[in-house]
Amino acid sequence: MMLQLLQADLLKIKRKGMWFLAVLGPVGVVALQMVNYGVRKDYLLQQNNDYWGSYLLNTSAFTPLAIVLGIAILTSFIASIENETNAWKQLIALPISKMAVYLSKFIVLSFMLFVSSCLLMVFTLAFGLLLNFDQEIPFLMLLQYSFFPFLAALPVLALQLWVATVSKNQGIPITTGVLGVILAYSAFFLPDWMIWKWPTLVNEWDNPVINVWLGLSIGCLLYMMGMFDFTRRDVK
Amino acid sequence: MEYIVQTNNLTKKFGKELVVNGISMQIPKGEVYGFLGPNGAGKSTTIRMMLGLMKPTSGNVEIFGKDLKNERINILKKVGSLVENPSYYPHLTANENLEAIRKIVGVPKARLEEVLRIVRLQDVANKKVKGFSLGMKQRLGIATSLLNNPELLILDEPTNGLDPSGIIEIRELIKNLSREYGMTILISSHLLAEIDQIATTVGIVNKGKMIFQDSIEKMRMLAQQQVILRVSQHKEAWRVLLANGIKTELAQGAIFLEDGSDHHVAEAVRLLVQQNISIYRVEDDRKSLEDIFLQMTKEEFVK
Repeated sequence: MMLQLLQADLLKIKRKGMWFLAVLGPVGVVALQMVNYGVRKDYLLQQNNDYWGSYLLNTSAFTPLAIVLGIAILTSFIASIENETNAWKQLIALPISKMAVYLSKFIVLSFMLFVSSCLLMVFTLAFGLLLNFDQEIPFLMLLQYSFFPFLAALPVLALQLWVATVSKNQGIPITTGVLGVILAYSAFFLPDWMIWKWPTLVNEWDNPVINVWLGLSIGCLLYMMGMFDFTRRDVK
Repeated sequence: MEYIVQTNNLTKKFGKELVVNGISMQIPKGEVYGFLGPNGAGKSTTIRMMLGLMKPTSGNVEIFGKDLKNERINILKKVGSLVENPSYYPHLTANENLEAIRKIVGVPKARLEEVLRIVRLQDVANKKVKGFSLGMKQRLGIATSLLNNPELLILDEPTNGLDPSGIIEIRELIKNLSREYGMTILISSHLLAEIDQIATTVGIVNKGKMIFQDSIEKMRMLAQQQVILRVSQHKEAWRVLLANGIKTELAQGAIFLEDGSDHHVAEAVRLLVQQNISIYRVEDDRKSLEDIFLQMTKEEFVK
């Protein structure tokens, strides 16, 4: 049943431009480095001897922002598909569990973000090769900077999905989304416990894996809370 | 009698407001049940509770003899529904809209064409629903509700906002579904004329309470025309008529003849004239279903 639901959800996001956004995100992040290295490659190479390392670090500066922004837009899109003509009442009156309906939306969004992360890795690697650093490629670091921010951002995804699906007024998820982006933008000044900081992979122990575990566990918790609240509510 | 739907004291409160107040509805198998009531009477809320969209504050719903609370998914497999305004995905074509639901209810793909043919939308199957007229959207909604070959079809205000030709079209469609496929159908409306033409059983709800539930014939009997006689000495006249075996009622200083046939009226007039009672007026008291509906809902209102 889950598989059919997923197929149905993938069909519904057709022609909504969501896949376009999923591609645009990683393109944008790498494009900024294209500008950066295009304008002042020599200067940047002077700063640090570890060319690949500093390139990946530069790239990853914009990944959290792109992810948090992407989550805000994609969740509000996917909820608007059902909200537009109140298709929730048609969907929930079908012989499926409400939990499955919610889970399917979450899986579709996670899948899109995962695809974005894969593309980010490919684009980062491709432009890195083009820069011709003539150093060994740090694949482990590349993997980390491509997928860790996504995993660390799962709590934001769970929160935004919940807000977007239970709000009658789509202004509310847009507001929380914009606030999230601002918080992610000022992550440097935020305390470690704020979920919008986690995608930056920065913490006081200097260990990005902590953010991944936090993202997975708190993401799971927030997802559960959102799902149970969704199933509890009446469909108007 | 076998009931497809049975609700027991179904109640729903929004905050302090009792929107549905102890509705016990019984829908016999194979009937077209007209669920009638003014706007805001609680029809939609009742229907939403029957589909598991809302949880009752108290009371329960049994469909196909099973409790909705425990077997929602099993029940909904055999139920088709269209709740209020049609829900659709405007950026998808009619076919894709149906496909998105078909995947979930798991019927063969050939069913898409069948349901589109039933509602006569096969020519626009590949057009985006965005450009459809309200009537077409409504028909697409009905097509969606038919996908799983339901035994019970629940249509909430299916003719709301349609033009006369659209209304006729939907009406014919519903009649057909009941006749050809033997479906049990619940159709709600605030227009009596609408229900009068297709329903076989009627339930009237007002202010959240069921105030009438019986066959449409019973309801029509209430609407049978009476003849009113206005005479000089109405009490005496009434006694004379009763003594001669004519069923009458005395109310508001006038005499009501229950049987309004020509023969009976002539007989009554003759008897009264023979008793030297002056007859001022002989009038038809034509009560339409509309009057009865209004009267029923108004009485509730005064209380």
